[in-house]
Amino acid sequence: MLLDFDKLGGLKPLLTVLVVVVCIFLILPIVFIAALSFGSSQWLIFPPPSWTFKWYQDLFADPRWLFSALTSLKIAGIVTVLSVVIGFLAALGLNRGSFVGRDFLRALFLTPMILPVVVLAVALYALFLKLGLAGTTIAFVIAHLLIALPFSIISIGNALDGFDRSIEEAAILCGASPWEARLRVTVPAVSHGIFAAAVFSFLASWDEVVLAIFMASPTLQTLPVKIWTTLRQDLTPVIAAASTLLIAFTILLMIVAALFRKGRKA
Amino acid sequence: MPVTLATDTVKITRERKFGYVVPALLLIVFFFIVPVTMLLLRSVLEPVPGMQNYAALLGSTTYLRVFLNTFLVAGVVTIVSIFVGYPVAWLLAIMPEKWSRIVLAIIILSMWTNLLARTYAWMVLLQRTGVINKTLMALGLIDKPLALVNNLVGVTIGMTYIMLPFVILPLMGVIRSIDPAILRAAALCGAGKLQCFLRVLLPLSLPGIVAGALMVFVMSLGYFVTPALLGGTSNMMLAELVAQFVQSLVNWGMGGAAALVLLVVTLTLYAIQLRYFNPARGK
Amino acid sequence: MTEPFLSIRGIRKSYGPVTAVKNVSMDIAEGEFMTFLGPSGSGKSTTLYVLAGFQDPSGGDILLKGRSLLSTPSHKRNIGMVFQRYTLFPHLTVGENVAFPLRIRRRPQAEIAERVKAALKLVRLEGFEDRMPALMSGGQQQRVALARALVYNPPVLLMDEPLSALDKKLREEIQFEIRRIHRETGVTILYVTHDQEEALRLSDRIAVFSQGEVDQIGTGPELYANPATRFVAGFIGDSNFLDATVVASDAGKAKLSLGDGSVVEGVPLHGTSTASGKASLMLRPERLSLSRAAVPSGIAVTVRDITFLGNNVEVSTATPAGVDLAVRLPFGHEAISNLARGEDAWLTFDTASAHAFA
Repeated sequence: MLLDFDKLGGLKPLLTVLVVVVCIFLILPIVFIAALSFGSSQWLIFPPPSWTFKWYQDLFADPRWLFSALTSLKIAGIVTVLSVVIGFLAALGLNRGSFVGRDFLRALFLTPMILPVVVLAVALYALFLKLGLAGTTIAFVIAHLLIALPFSIISIGNALDGFDRSIEEAAILCGASPWEARLRVTVPAVSHGIFAAAVFSFLASWDEVVLAIFMASPTLQTLPVKIWTTLRQDLTPVIAAASTLLIAFTILLMIVAALFRKGRKA
Repeated sequence: MPVTLATDTVKITRERKFGYVVPALLLIVFFFIVPVTMLLLRSVLEPVPGMQNYAALLGSTTYLRVFLNTFLVAGVVTIVSIFVGYPVAWLLAIMPEKWSRIVLAIIILSMWTNLLARTYAWMVLLQRTGVINKTLMALGLIDKPLALVNNLVGVTIGMTYIMLPFVILPLMGVIRSIDPAILRAAALCGAGKLQCFLRVLLPLSLPGIVAGALMVFVMSLGYFVTPALLGGTSNMMLAELVAQFVQSLVNWGMGGAAALVLLVVTLTLYAIQLRYFNPARGK
Repeated sequence: MTEPFLSIRGIRKSYGPVTAVKNVSMDIAEGEFMTFLGPSGSGKSTTLYVLAGFQDPSGGDILLKGRSLLSTPSHKRNIGMVFQRYTLFPHLTVGENVAFPLRIRRRPQAEIAERVKAALKLVRLEGFEDRMPALMSGGQQQRVALARALVYNPPVLLMDEPLSALDKKLREEIQFEIRRIHRETGVTILYVTHDQEEALRLSDRIAVFSQGEVDQIGTGPELYANPATRFVAGFIGDSNFLDATVVASDAGKAKLSLGDGSVVEGVPLHGTSTASGKASLMLRPERLSLSRAAVPSGIAVTVRDITFLGNNVEVSTATPAGVDLAVRLPFGHEAISNLARGEDAWLTFDTASAHAFA
């Protein structure tokens, strides 16, 4: 009865109130930031004395913000492509292969996800200093790729698990070469996994803070690094404007993902 | 012969396929195993070979306070997340879909929102002149603003905010996988609500709770951004210490030692979780 | 008149505009085995859930020994129930599962041990106390569920399609066990199933559910010999239906015209005759006789197929209008020796064994 919604009795209002409170707790900062980004107060007083677009104008007037956003976009784009391709191959090998140490490799590939990022960041920073790659786009891409790849391997691996490989074998029997069969039959069949892998990889790179702080140079910064360095100085409302744009971007991404899922069901 | 053809193709799709994992493996070896190993080696090689870095790290009250802060915050965040997250996950698992969809959308939105944006929001909300202090004062609950930021209270609030979705979503899955008929059977056996909960629902969801708690604890131990922004300089946590040794003090030996401590604790807890509470094994 | 043991009075249940149970009433005697039989969506399970307290009815009442159950929450009703799925507590051993209701009732340890042992003995699972449910077969798990439901001697045991997850052979084995347990314990059982054979095999009485209502309550032979509605006639046993017109009716017997000109008299008529006089004539396949020589009062048919069923032979025939009629005859019956497909034949029947539904 504890799992029958209509028979919860007195627990129902109690739990409902808690859920509502938690929802408010979760949504409050997001709504609040969006509201403040339009408020006129330099000191982020709420409710704001009046409304303004000033902070958005400041944001777009400073070329460093735009440049860092473009840097983020470029790095996230490269990371997404590499993560999906390498992740697809790795997932295929882990899923279908019969080599020794498969389970060990699977666990190994996922460790960057569970390891404290700061350890990885510091270690890579040391390596790139030695290699003379510190502060370069390559360093950024490699660092972000390490934490994006587990998402790809999991998403595509799950999709491959749900795909009956005799279908691929049937395609080969129909005359397709193994790679042709893979591209024309398997890839479309696991496209939802590939899509998820792309979204997660993009987000992992786009939102990465800790690795980015260590990879960045004064001339090459991603958007989170720019926010971070600004934030360490003061709580200017320009950050609220930048954050609001990021939130809008997230919502857009959620809608696209939801539409994609719906399209798949239909 | 068609039979031979079939077995041939099976071979094609089921060959050993080690080659496919090579790109990922190269990446992991050269940019994960090698640098992390090098960093850890530096902890016993720099400035001179020996264990002096570990002795310094574990022998100083300053650093012990950092360990204490880290475990305290991670522990409190874990406990609060579970106590708040479990009932939410429970109701979410059984409420009508039209409502649970809205709640899930809110949870996912908060999860996907940029970490810095969220932390920034809490910095603003919790500051002395922030909305929370102002509201409490307007309500007459406090006379002067509470110190909610630049201390461990702020870190705990900010981290709980980040960790809650990581508790709610898996727990919801665990509770959804319990057959409601089992709870009905328990009720017919004479168990009241409390007994149903304590004797059936809780034990059945316990593996999920422990797994969720371990995950949140491990994630909290290594967290960097939120403690750095909400905690202020005097309330450092372990991840910040690692970063500080490397960035400000350029002391790679101590940085490596602190990283190793963090790594060992994390991997041990992770191994425990895998060994005893792997949800994928259906236990 | 003495008070009925369990009385279901005008139970209704609707979900918004959808009515799952319209108006169900019945009395059940102590120790009786009552089966709710009907297709899915007929309201039989909902009625059972109302009895268990998993759902609150929109109207009506349930009395156990004269006292209303509705205000009592499920866990205080002291009712036993076996579910469609096994519903054993997966984190407890078999013995702990069976002991669960007694632990809840805070019985002394010695009594618990003794009664768990007795309950497991009753379901023939002695010595399985320490097994985990996940390691047992479906049939065994369901017997543990039965032991758990009976261990606290509930006055009423509800069973919601308990055998539907089992294969046929196991099902028959457990049906036999349920009958034995019913005999040995004398517990009142309310049993839900959509399987008429299971219902006939197990029950003292059967309540046939259709579209949220009880069409008829009676023993198996009563329902078979004297169905109250066309639905009951179709659901219990095999049957043929022919369209007919009521020409005249008197004292529950009707005179029917069968459309091809033939007229039958003295057929028991159920339901009130409508103005148009349209009715269905129900004929049991084993009550039909087949003649290869023309019979003027018989129904002319063509043989479509002959199927050997062991001790019976089923002859599928069709009238010129295309209505299928099945006839079942004992194996070796003279009428069917050398009978061939496509042959013409005539069907006759005893009008008293037929039924007409208006």
